[in-house]
Amino acid sequence: MNAKSLTPGLLVAALLAAGACDFNITNPNTPPIIGPNASPERVAAAVAGVLVSQRADMGNWVLKSSILGREGYRIDVADPRFITELLQGPLDPSNAAFGGGQWPVEYAAIRSGYDILNVLSTAQLTTAQKNGVQGFVQTMQAFSYMIVLYAHTQDSIPVDVNHPVTDPPAPFVTNQAAWAHVASLLDSGATALGAAGTSFSFPLPNGFADFNTPATFLTFNRALLARADAYRASTFAAVGLYDSVLTALSASFVDTLKSMDLGGYFDYGTGQGDISNALFQAAPSAIQVARHDVYDSAEVKLDATKDNRVLGKITARGSQICGGSPSLCSTYSWIRYRSPTAPIPIIRNEELVLLRAEANNARTARDAAAAAADINAIRVRSGGLTAVVGLAAVSADSMKGMLLRELQYSLLFEGHRWVDLRRLGRATDIKIERPTKDQRFLTLPIPLFETQPREP
Amino acid sequence: MVHRALLVCAGLWFGGTLAAQQRPITGKVTGSLDGKPIAGATVAVVGSTMLAVTNGTGDYTVLVPGGPVTLSVRAVGYKRRLVNVRGDQGTADVTLEADIFNLEAIVVTGQATGVEQRNLANAVTTVSPENLNRAPTQTIESALQGKIPGALIQMNSGAPGGGGQINLRGVTTINAGVDPLIVVDGMVVSNDAIPPGLNAVTAAAAGGNASTQDNAVNRLADLNPADIEKVEVLKGASAAAIYGAQAANGVIMVTTRRGVTGAPRFTITQRLGTVGVSHLLQSRRFADSADAVAAFGHDSLVGVLCPAATGCPYFDNERALYGQHSLSYETDLTASGGSGSTNYFLSGLAKRDGGIAPNTGYDKQSLRANLDQTLSRRTRLTFNNQVVHSIADRGISNNDNTGTSTYLVLSGTPSFVDLRPRSGAYPNNPFAASNPLQTFAFLKNREDVWRVISTASLTLDALATPRHRLQVTLTGGIDYFAQHNDILSPPILQFEPNDGQPGTIVLGKASDRRLNLTGSVIHTLSPASGRFTATTSAGFQLQDADINLTSALGRQFLQGQQNVDQASSINTIQKELPTRSLGVYAQEEVLAASERLLFTLGIRGDRSSVNGNTDKFYLFPKGAVSYRFTQPTGFLDELKVRGAIGQTGNAPLFGAKFSSDTTGTIFGLPGTFISPIVGNPGVRPETNTEIEGGFDATLGREFANVNVTLYQKTITNLLLLPRIPLSTGQVNRVINGGKLRNTGVEIGAAVSPVRTTETTWIVRATFFSNRSKIVKLPVPTFQTGGFGTGLGAFQIERGKSATQIVGFDSTGAIVKVGDANPDFQMSLSSDLAYRRWSLSFLWDWKHGGDVIDLTQLLYDAGLNSADWNTTGQARFGEFLKGNTSAYVQDASYLKLREVTLSYELPASVTHRLFGDVRSARVSFSGRNLLRFTSYPGLDPEVSNFGNQAIARNIDVAPFPPNRGFFFSIDVGF
Repeated sequence: MNAKSLTPGLLVAALLAAGACDFNITNPNTPPIIGPNASPERVAAAVAGVLVSQRADMGNWVLKSSILGREGYRIDVADPRFITELLQGPLDPSNAAFGGGQWPVEYAAIRSGYDILNVLSTAQLTTAQKNGVQGFVQTMQAFSYMIVLYAHTQDSIPVDVNHPVTDPPAPFVTNQAAWAHVASLLDSGATALGAAGTSFSFPLPNGFADFNTPATFLTFNRALLARADAYRASTFAAVGLYDSVLTALSASFVDTLKSMDLGGYFDYGTGQGDISNALFQAAPSAIQVARHDVYDSAEVKLDATKDNRVLGKITARGSQICGGSPSLCSTYSWIRYRSPTAPIPIIRNEELVLLRAEANNARTARDAAAAAADINAIRVRSGGLTAVVGLAAVSADSMKGMLLRELQYSLLFEGHRWVDLRRLGRATDIKIERPTKDQRFLTLPIPLFETQPREP
Repeated sequence: MVHRALLVCAGLWFGGTLAAQQRPITGKVTGSLDGKPIAGATVAVVGSTMLAVTNGTGDYTVLVPGGPVTLSVRAVGYKRRLVNVRGDQGTADVTLEADIFNLEAIVVTGQATGVEQRNLANAVTTVSPENLNRAPTQTIESALQGKIPGALIQMNSGAPGGGGQINLRGVTTINAGVDPLIVVDGMVVSNDAIPPGLNAVTAAAAGGNASTQDNAVNRLADLNPADIEKVEVLKGASAAAIYGAQAANGVIMVTTRRGVTGAPRFTITQRLGTVGVSHLLQSRRFADSADAVAAFGHDSLVGVLCPAATGCPYFDNERALYGQHSLSYETDLTASGGSGSTNYFLSGLAKRDGGIAPNTGYDKQSLRANLDQTLSRRTRLTFNNQVVHSIADRGISNNDNTGTSTYLVLSGTPSFVDLRPRSGAYPNNPFAASNPLQTFAFLKNREDVWRVISTASLTLDALATPRHRLQVTLTGGIDYFAQHNDILSPPILQFEPNDGQPGTIVLGKASDRRLNLTGSVIHTLSPASGRFTATTSAGFQLQDADINLTSALGRQFLQGQQNVDQASSINTIQKELPTRSLGVYAQEEVLAASERLLFTLGIRGDRSSVNGNTDKFYLFPKGAVSYRFTQPTGFLDELKVRGAIGQTGNAPLFGAKFSSDTTGTIFGLPGTFISPIVGNPGVRPETNTEIEGGFDATLGREFANVNVTLYQKTITNLLLLPRIPLSTGQVNRVINGGKLRNTGVEIGAAVSPVRTTETTWIVRATFFSNRSKIVKLPVPTFQTGGFGTGLGAFQIERGKSATQIVGFDSTGAIVKVGDANPDFQMSLSSDLAYRRWSLSFLWDWKHGGDVIDLTQLLYDAGLNSADWNTTGQARFGEFLKGNTSAYVQDASYLKLREVTLSYELPASVTHRLFGDVRSARVSFSGRNLLRFTSYPGLDPEVSNFGNQAIARNIDVAPFPPNRGFFFSIDVGF
């Protein structure tokens, strides 16, 4: 081949090589969003995804609310903000790990739920199976709203979020209206579960082992409603709702004879694609520590050892750890989560028994005896303590104080103390160890990245 | 007339039409000052295509037509000279004058064309090998610092193995790619930075923050500076338009060395040196036990470590870790030559940079073979091949959430704690999760990279007459590297049991492949009238790239085990980034008016798989003009005014067009949920339009040369990731929109005050200043990067600098607290040669530009900063009042980057020492020997998040900077 004929040859070869290329490269890394005509497996993955998504924030919520409610501290040389920001302020609305949290993860879970519900009618499922999906998803969406509302009490929050991202942002509604939305979501979910047949079309993780059919999951749904109604009754002075709490509890899995740990949980794992429970820590090197008076003021059992609930959740660290200025020190480690795969409770029997006590104590037609019986049941069964004699005779307010004490130890490091002190009107009981430095926070700010993108 | 617009690819013209009557002319080409022979000089016959190249002793033989002829003789670094040869003259010796300011050097103007510096219409900076290799360097970024006006070059940390960022002419993007395009011998090569996976140990990315905090190395590190013939830097769109949608951040064109016909020549360079830490932080000294107890509480521990009777000891744990001076060496070998139709350049490199901490360091070996083979009168083949292997042991640094990164530990560890081993056992650190001395003794963080860059190029001189030249070049190349990351954090480390799964192992395997196929056709028209030369070029560039990242993470295994399959918990990840793109271009360059006027028009079209519309060609035009006034005044030798305009693009990042779910599992069940980013199926490249203008002047009979350039760079269709309200369930969406403007000035000046046979002295200075402004923003103000507003965040806001840092004030309002952009940069270098001695140095000055110094915050929060009692306490108090500005610090610096003193051994000595050698030189050199800064951290050059468009300049526990001294011997045979 001589030079002159080589030239066009090369060019042709080059152009052929260019033309042979396919420029439409699909996304090799992540699956598309669930769409119409979804297979049962695709729906199942999306349902599990709601749980995966929600779980991502549980560790942070439990940790942060424990610090804000002064159950304990995190003394972390790698991040001083657990002391500076969460105890002293100001709360930074731009960082989800601190002041800006309990919002993005929850709304992502809610949105992931809507992504399923919006295409559910065309999914390859029977009507009953679709109802099962709807009931499960709406119940879990309600839980995510509850976390947002637990952490944000002074402002309004958006609830009408099932719109394309290009639509105008969802308006903010008052806390009271948002809690009503939570209750209505739970009721809608309950109705769907009632028409969902005998089994779900999707598998559930171990944390829902006791609620893996529409009928049993309905008891979980009612338990969440009881919690929501108790929050509304106490926070918005709607005493009438305490009757609804009792109604909801009667349809829930509350049972003083069953394990106090019976409930729904988020599982953690160390397998492929899973995450471990970041709240686990080895006691001798723990940086999540209990405040001393939480341990010191716990009651002792007849054998002179501490309340079982304390022994199971707090242990001696071995050496003191201090941080901040002036120093905050502790010699007690949290051991509430005893392994990297320990689950975090969503709601469990022990809380329901105490909710029943609260409702019976606070409702218009007060039933002090029933409340006392539940409180004592918890003291005996969970704490290993003796029953308080004559409890039924104390005033409603005194009983509320005793109830708060049991709530504190029963639900220690589960994300309740901060919420319970606030909603039951005892926010001043949030302990301030350094009065010139520390503040009591009653809410997190609305995240900057919710408000800033709304600006013109 | 000689052909004016020379062809870079061509370089040499073989063959041509052979006239009937021919005669040979022989001669020798030597330098005018030193009389030394010049190898590789081109001797061309004006008005014909005949030409020859001098051999190693400067000798040439060229065939010329009968009768008198004019020879044009040129060589790199020398001025072209025309020599008239009479018809009866058979020999012509030529002396060439040094081209001090490189005015006649050929500088790139397109993918395959170039023009002499003195005609160039753009401010393209060329860095010569002497400038590049003045002092030994780990990676090429640091060898370029202070040498390119318009470039902000900063290392990310002092960790062995490099990692640095080159920003040309300011901020070019907010959310798209940030690195310049790297072109080596015509082939686009990878500068990807693949994170090693250290996050498995540090958990830095937990807690709601972005990832990329692993201190990754960008793979520009693989080039061997000793192989480089020149580096040309196309700084903005007006110069780089011919690279289209890849060139928004500028282009760095690297040309490697080639062989010259003649006897084999060998050079050996042996360097020996030592590297030590250049700056440490120190920590608070406690006056007495009471002082310590006041800080850390009534802790029985403090009483023991810091007894009331004897006071508090001071243990310098930081120096105990980073105080190591280790041996560094580098051996460079080259062999080059050529005979007949084959030329070759071979090089070998073996180097080790010792680390300043135990078990850290950097080893690199490289082999290169560049071959030129003439196939026929009209065709020749070129091969460029490099194989490089490197091992970097990088220790642990940057942000963490597990108490493992050195400065996160030391900031909370009071100085009265002794962390040193006692009888071989490391004590546990009672104040933090780890003992850094133990961590560095046992933790392995090794990055092992094998890379091959190989190109083959076939050039055909389809037509070669005195009037017309037509050249066709087809180049194919492959750049492939396999990166192997091996992180082993054994169970015995203090922190390892803390997560309940003692032992962490990461086995990362990444492959990065790029294929290039480029073709070009160049036609040069030189009419007989000699009024102009027109060079027309056109071509295509097809690229196919695939990055495949896999990593296996194991936790919980027995001490002594090291394979990932021995772990009881294993997680694997994979990510693949395949892309494909095609560019086509055409360019016309005309040199007219007795080589005074140059004008250029060009256009490039690009389509790519990363765009929303993969069929569409996005067009990037350019135009440039320059005019050279010779001897406009008595004082001015030459004045060139120039102006250029051009466009480039910045392609969307991979995946920007996809909306997808994220995956995870719970109790073994696979789950999918919404991903944080809303993709944009219509995403397109950014458009970067640049206008530059300026002048180049040579004055006082080549006493000085000054280049002044003003530019304005406007980026539209910006790829933005604005925030959307979090209640949508997502975080960002991808859009094109907005307008970002950069305005700047670059000045380069060189003075040659002394130029005698004994002494030459050249002083060079650069000045650069750039301002950016967000002119339009179609979305509300949004933040990009940082650890939340409270600690300082980069905020994109209309009317403001793109690199502004915002934070809170004490009222909780968001206010500007700083700007990462420097006010200006200057550098000053001097090269003085006196007889056999030469002395060179380079100062690099950055004025302004802020860094968010979170390391200082950590020390203050740990009540442990060295200046706690004087200013630290008050600073921390400001922060606690809500003032973010407390930790935003000015990061101006003045650094003595390079200094070298060398001595050329006299022939008598070299013969006695080395036998039959051409030359021998001994040198002492140093890098980063001096630094002046008010910045309180380890190094004002820092980036916790690696290479970043905006969010650089965040200091979180970096690897400390180092400085090195070297002794070198260079011997040429």
